[in-house]
Amino acid sequence: MTGRLRLIGRLAARDLRRRRTEAFLLLLAFTAATATLALGLTLNGASNDQSYRQTRTATAGPDVVLSLNPDGSAMATRQGLAQLAALEHASGVTGHSGPFPATWVPLGGNGHTAGAQVEGRESAPASLDQPKVTQGSWLRGNGTAVLERTFAQALGVTAGGTVTLNGRSFTVAGIAVSAAVPPYPRVCDDGCEDTTSMQAGAQTGQVWVTEADARSLATRSEPLYYFLNLKLADPGQADAGSSDITWNTWQSISWLDSKVILSEQNVMMIFSSLLGILAIASVAVLVGGRMADQARRVGLLKAVGGTPELVAAVLLAEYVVIAGVAAVTGLLIGWAAAPLITRPGAGLLGTGASPGLTAGTIVVVMAVALLIALIGTFIPAVRAARVSTIRALAGSARPPKRRARLTALSARLPVVMLLALRIAGRRPRRAALNLASIAITAGGIIAMLAIASTGRVSFLAPGGSGLANPIAEQNGQVMLVVTVMLGILAAINVVFITWASVHDVRVSSALARALGATPEQATAGLVAAQALPALGGAVLGVPLGIGLSAAIQHGTTVTYPPVAGILAVLAGTVTAVTALTTPAAYASNHRPIAQALHDQAT
Amino acid sequence: MRQEVILAMLAKEPSHGYELRSRLARALGPLGEAMNAGQVYVALSRLEKAGLVAGEHSPGLADRPDRKVYALTPEGQLRVAAWLAEVSWPRPGLAEFHLKLVAAAAARLADPVSIVDAHRRELLRQLRDGQRAAMAEPDGSDAALLLEGVVLRIQADLRWLEACERAWTTRKDKER
Amino acid sequence: MSDAALVRARGLRKEYGTGEGLVRAVDSVDLDVAAGETVAVMGPSGCGKSTLLHLLGGLDRASGGELHLAGQRVDQMSERGLARLRRDTVGFVFQAFHLMDELTAVENVELPALLAGKSARAARKRAVELLEQVGLADRAGFLPPALSGGQRQRVAVARALASEPLLVLADEPTGNLDSAATLEVLRLFETLHEAGQTLVIVTHDARIAATADRLISMRDGAFVDETRLGGSAAGSLASLAGLDG
Repeated sequence: MTGRLRLIGRLAARDLRRRRTEAFLLLLAFTAATATLALGLTLNGASNDQSYRQTRTATAGPDVVLSLNPDGSAMATRQGLAQLAALEHASGVTGHSGPFPATWVPLGGNGHTAGAQVEGRESAPASLDQPKVTQGSWLRGNGTAVLERTFAQALGVTAGGTVTLNGRSFTVAGIAVSAAVPPYPRVCDDGCEDTTSMQAGAQTGQVWVTEADARSLATRSEPLYYFLNLKLADPGQADAGSSDITWNTWQSISWLDSKVILSEQNVMMIFSSLLGILAIASVAVLVGGRMADQARRVGLLKAVGGTPELVAAVLLAEYVVIAGVAAVTGLLIGWAAAPLITRPGAGLLGTGASPGLTAGTIVVVMAVALLIALIGTFIPAVRAARVSTIRALAGSARPPKRRARLTALSARLPVVMLLALRIAGRRPRRAALNLASIAITAGGIIAMLAIASTGRVSFLAPGGSGLANPIAEQNGQVMLVVTVMLGILAAINVVFITWASVHDVRVSSALARALGATPEQATAGLVAAQALPALGGAVLGVPLGIGLSAAIQHGTTVTYPPVAGILAVLAGTVTAVTALTTPAAYASNHRPIAQALHDQAT
Repeated sequence: MRQEVILAMLAKEPSHGYELRSRLARALGPLGEAMNAGQVYVALSRLEKAGLVAGEHSPGLADRPDRKVYALTPEGQLRVAAWLAEVSWPRPGLAEFHLKLVAAAAARLADPVSIVDAHRRELLRQLRDGQRAAMAEPDGSDAALLLEGVVLRIQADLRWLEACERAWTTRKDKER
Repeated sequence: MSDAALVRARGLRKEYGTGEGLVRAVDSVDLDVAAGETVAVMGPSGCGKSTLLHLLGGLDRASGGELHLAGQRVDQMSERGLARLRRDTVGFVFQAFHLMDELTAVENVELPALLAGKSARAARKRAVELLEQVGLADRAGFLPPALSGGQRQRVAVARALASEPLLVLADEPTGNLDSAATLEVLRLFETLHEAGQTLVIVTHDARIAATADRLISMRDGAFVDETRLGGSAAGSLASLAGLDG
């Protein structure tokens, strides 16, 4: 038993050494898949809990933030405030701060415009939710303001600078973080009241000013509302709210902080599935394409008494080894890269939680890698093992099937198209793989474009007075990285398919040239045989990408990417595939014909 | 076997009867064992009577053919030369042709390769005629079968001639 | 006479490797082939006859020397020019047939015409004619694996004739065939010869060589002998068959 294992190992190792470039590219493909999978799974366990707790402790964060939004009449305001006062002393309430008045005003700073939720505070520290100053100092009286950190960073404003609130100039006394307020730009996700000036897309951040200033900033159209912070003996206690009072628990605020990571995790999981599929395709193409090579080895093994099982084992061993190495590498990459994505952002103190690899993650990643290797290798291995020994020794690959209609159709086309159709028609499954892998890649890019057009994801800093959206930027970075990986993987696939194709038709191409086709025609035909399925794949990728983008956004709305983007993807795909295919095709079709013909008659 | 073979074997130098016999045996290998010892001496006597060889007794020995020393007469030499040059008919037996080449090489009378080539050309013409005749026959006729046999034999001979050519060319190159 | 030569080669050379490892596959060959001639090149394996044929057909580039085909200078032609040459002037028949297994006989034969840009209908028509010429009209729809060796080679010859080439080059055309199949191909070559087709055949099969007008022997890359088989045989076939007469 061990003797056979050693034999398998030796044969597999020797074969891997002989085909180093292939093995390396395949490793790359696998690693891309495993790394994204590892990242996705790791993010699953990550949250900003630790950072949030740190911030909560440092700022004496509340258990509940109540917001009161009177309908504007003085009476309603009085009634509401009375209710809040009553709640301050309700049973189970162990501490409170506020109520603090707040309103929404337009803000200008550093050349940008945005919205600001202005909350009125005292210079003296509050018992609950006293924002922790990270730069400068706390409020120094009227005319000063303290900005929340993510907001300040987005604006590019520092302590000592000035901002305008509703046109009035304020000095920025300092910059602070708070656990009671979601970071910019999520301040108003479920906190701010609907006011007439809340246009969709207005970026709003948190600003603290003196109570007097807050009241003076309120207008008829933007009346005051109030915040009350409560500490509860039992943080899980339910409320007794009226229609004017909403409760926000610290968990939900924390969740908003985490929303960044969650959406990234979503993206990761989806894209890692895509990469996994592409990796399977890579393996299938590679294994299938080199079957002719393998077939002879298979025949030799069988001729000296190897059983079909032994043969299959050797074939599988190579790819399982690659899968294993890739799994380990992918896990390492995932572990190293996770903190970059789980950074809490400027809105919380501390560095990101490094969730670390759990045993579950390791097991899943290794299992998936193994599965990919198995799936990709299974069918070709079984077929190779079943091929009769004589045929295998003769080294003939599967002869192409006859395609009468395709042949008749291609006869009517110009020479290059004739060659392209016939070459693609020889191995329809490979053409299908080509189409599928391009479809997946194009789908990913189209999805990215679709999401980008919603504004929730951005890849570049907006010009002019527009404000940067850190969440969107981070999302954008993640999607960009993953899409680039998709692109690289697809490129690897195309290269593999081209190698296999060139190898497969070397005799037929030489024959075509011997019968009068020019090397240019032969090259163009071979390139077109790859580019046409790629175009089909890109076209297929458009609906696929739109569907993907909907899945990433939890199926809420269907967004369409810009038409220019779609055309760019189509054109870019064809160009890229052509560029990747041409060198090998050119080299193959400029060898001396006699040499190519006598390589091997297939 | 034709008498000319014996003549050619004497072309190199005169020799005793038994010497001649042993040289023949060497050239023919195991096939030579089928040759009757007496055949050589009978042939020598006939050739002597025909005036193509002259025999001399070694002094002191009995008048027996195997003790005589035989040499070619001028007529004999002419006859050998003619024989080497002709592409003889009817078709020479294998042994005869083989010995022709051996003798020609030994006596340096002619280039064995040229002899082979001449025969090859002739056989090729034969082959061409035979093929044409075979193709002219309707399919399946009895004559076609006979012609196929002729063609196949010619092919066999040609293959042997090719081997002869290779072998004798190599020997020639070695000697150079 | 040499002005009317269809093929004219002077000092044709093909070498591989350098220095000590230099191999002269074709060593300074001069060859003239007149229109309508059948020339057979014979020699042991490895003597370079196949390489010579590849040079004549533009399937390989010579290392030196001159080659003229139908008045055109071939040894310095561009790849595209060579392709045109292979398309219009030269037809090639290979030992291994090199038919496409996934195409029927007629689809194989029409391929050169299609590659030359002819319409599908014209190419098909010509292919059918050619298959009739070689006697395989009833096998037009068969795939090569369903044909015998001799039939496959005849399809290959039909393919070589597709563009009405001035010159047909055949590389060991009966090398992979048994005796009966060889006869089929033999008949075909005789027919072509009678029709005035110029043929250069590389072969080690005496049966094919016997049909040639000129027989050239090749060894170690060079011509060593040339014969004309003209004239009738000295002896008679009858005596070969054992009949005295």
